[in-house]
Amino acid sequence: MSGRAERIGLLALPGLSFLAVIYALPLFMLLLKSFQIDGEFSVAEYVTFFGDDYNLSVLWRTLRVALLTTCLALIIAYPTAIIMARAKGIWLSIFLVAMVLPMSVGVIVKAFAWTILFRTRGVLNDTLMSLGSTDAPIRRLFTETALIIGAANVFLPFMVLPIYAVLRQMDSRLPEAAVSLGATPVFRFMNVTLPLSLPGVVAGCAFTFSLAISMYVIPSLIVGERQQTLSMLTGRSFLYLRNEALGATISSILLIIAISVVLGSSWLASRLGARQ
Amino acid sequence: MTNPAMRDMGNSKHLDVLAVGKAFKGTPVMSDMDFRVGRGELVSLLGPSGCGKTTLLRIIAGLTPADTGEVMLDGRAITTVPAHRRNISVVFQSYALFPHLTVAENVAFGLRARGVDKAACGSKVSEALALVRMSDFADRPVAALSGGQQQRVAVARALIVDPVLLLLDEPFSALDRKLRETMQVELKTLLRARNMTAIFVTHDQDEAMGVSDRIAVMSAGKIEQFATPADLYARPSSAFVMGFVGLSTRLTGKVVAATAERITIKTAHGLVIAPGKFAKGTEVTIGVRPELIRTEPGENTLSVTLADAMVLGSKTQLHGRAEDPDRLLCELPGMRSSFAPGEIVTFGWSVADTLVYEAKT
Repeated sequence: MSGRAERIGLLALPGLSFLAVIYALPLFMLLLKSFQIDGEFSVAEYVTFFGDDYNLSVLWRTLRVALLTTCLALIIAYPTAIIMARAKGIWLSIFLVAMVLPMSVGVIVKAFAWTILFRTRGVLNDTLMSLGSTDAPIRRLFTETALIIGAANVFLPFMVLPIYAVLRQMDSRLPEAAVSLGATPVFRFMNVTLPLSLPGVVAGCAFTFSLAISMYVIPSLIVGERQQTLSMLTGRSFLYLRNEALGATISSILLIIAISVVLGSSWLASRLGARQ
Repeated sequence: MTNPAMRDMGNSKHLDVLAVGKAFKGTPVMSDMDFRVGRGELVSLLGPSGCGKTTLLRIIAGLTPADTGEVMLDGRAITTVPAHRRNISVVFQSYALFPHLTVAENVAFGLRARGVDKAACGSKVSEALALVRMSDFADRPVAALSGGQQQRVAVARALIVDPVLLLLDEPFSALDRKLRETMQVELKTLLRARNMTAIFVTHDQDEAMGVSDRIAVMSAGKIEQFATPADLYARPSSAFVMGFVGLSTRLTGKVVAATAERITIKTAHGLVIAPGKFAKGTEVTIGVRPELIRTEPGENTLSVTLADAMVLGSKTQLHGRAEDPDRLLCELPGMRSSFAPGEIVTFGWSVADTLVYEAKT
């Protein structure tokens, strides 16, 4: 029995060794580099990084953008997931295609499309001005707001799909049982649908936050160099400043944030799962 | 029908379903459904799957809107009242307990939905759990419960809100046979003690006979007969009801002679005399309950070749050889091991016990 299980376990070997060589090893070397100055162990790079007000503002901006992106994506995704979980047949196919198809359009194409929408004499400003809700065009491109809206758009499927999957699995009689026990639609949502969908919400937020905190192309195209994020700073350190130690340090900080998000969300998901 | 009539205080019908119709995607499930239940009555909707019994239950609960007709409760139309304001509790087939809540939280749900705060729920929840003998399980997650325990929790959850009507959709189908019989007795006693009006949906005739004051036998969106279990068994109104409720010897044939009170029918197994008025030449279906047949000559006598003799403990079943749709069945009390397949025996019964229906073309 155990011999058979062990042999089946061997099937995981190619995948694991691939990850070890391509993913874990370089990251480990990067981590090592961030703690080294001239071959000696040192935390000096970290002290320097956290001692710099500009770096701290970039760190804070990165966290803020990722958090707001996650919130915006969640607000848009949740109702969508509810509708999708109830959809049948052709409508369900339309929703799924609408979710997945935009992922095949490159981020660069999307980013340039947004510039048409957001630029000073773009569609958005023209519409607002013709409606009379604003007199002068509002600057939207190269702002944090534009970045959050754009990022939420790109990462939306990663928020919708986990929530949709959980809602879809939910026994349809549970809301009906709640209704027959006198629950108003709001009470039913707050006490049945929402708590049962939380594992999906946690998974979606973890995906979206991890993606948003490490995004590089979207901020480069939408806000450019004027407002840096950690990923852009990393890129700059390696590519322009040739400061590998700084790049490695920032990468490690990003990595630590990502690992805490993954561990925290899986802990939360297993706690929610255990109750059910 | 004396018993339920006594429980029905005065003449007012508690639940009144009037001319309700429902179609799904253009296919009618039921039309002109009329159905009345008195206060404190335990009623079953019995029928094969797809007969519309669950749809009727859902319309009464407000979970499915009716296309036409009216649902009245105590003389008040509730057709447009949303489900959460009807105060009609439902026990679902697989109980639909909330998996993220404990046993006590599940039971308290209906009270909390009515705005009762957590602290005030406590004593009523303990009371409801004691009623179904689940007090020791209050803080357990529902996933850790057995089927019978889940059903008890579902019943406690449904009853804690003092519903005007309790609807149960196949409540025993998830339980094994032994437990099912225990739970039927338990639930019936509990509902009686609270004078609860309840409607069971089931496809199991034994269950319907066991738990109900009256049974509505449904077929293809219509109620074929609505009567007490005894009436239904002794005087089924159609060949369908006879076939669905209980076993019977069943023969098809043609009326060959008719007098004022009696007809003679020619069947594949011989001539049979039955009470009733049918014209000569009418195709009919005849039925006889198996325990009314003796293995000795009677007013009607058939010679039957045994296909099988089954000794079932409290009774012995004799199956005669017959071609579909005919069936020859006799039940004798006790264990009778003297019969062997292939043996020729006499089936005899009285004319008065013969049921006869015009055959559907």
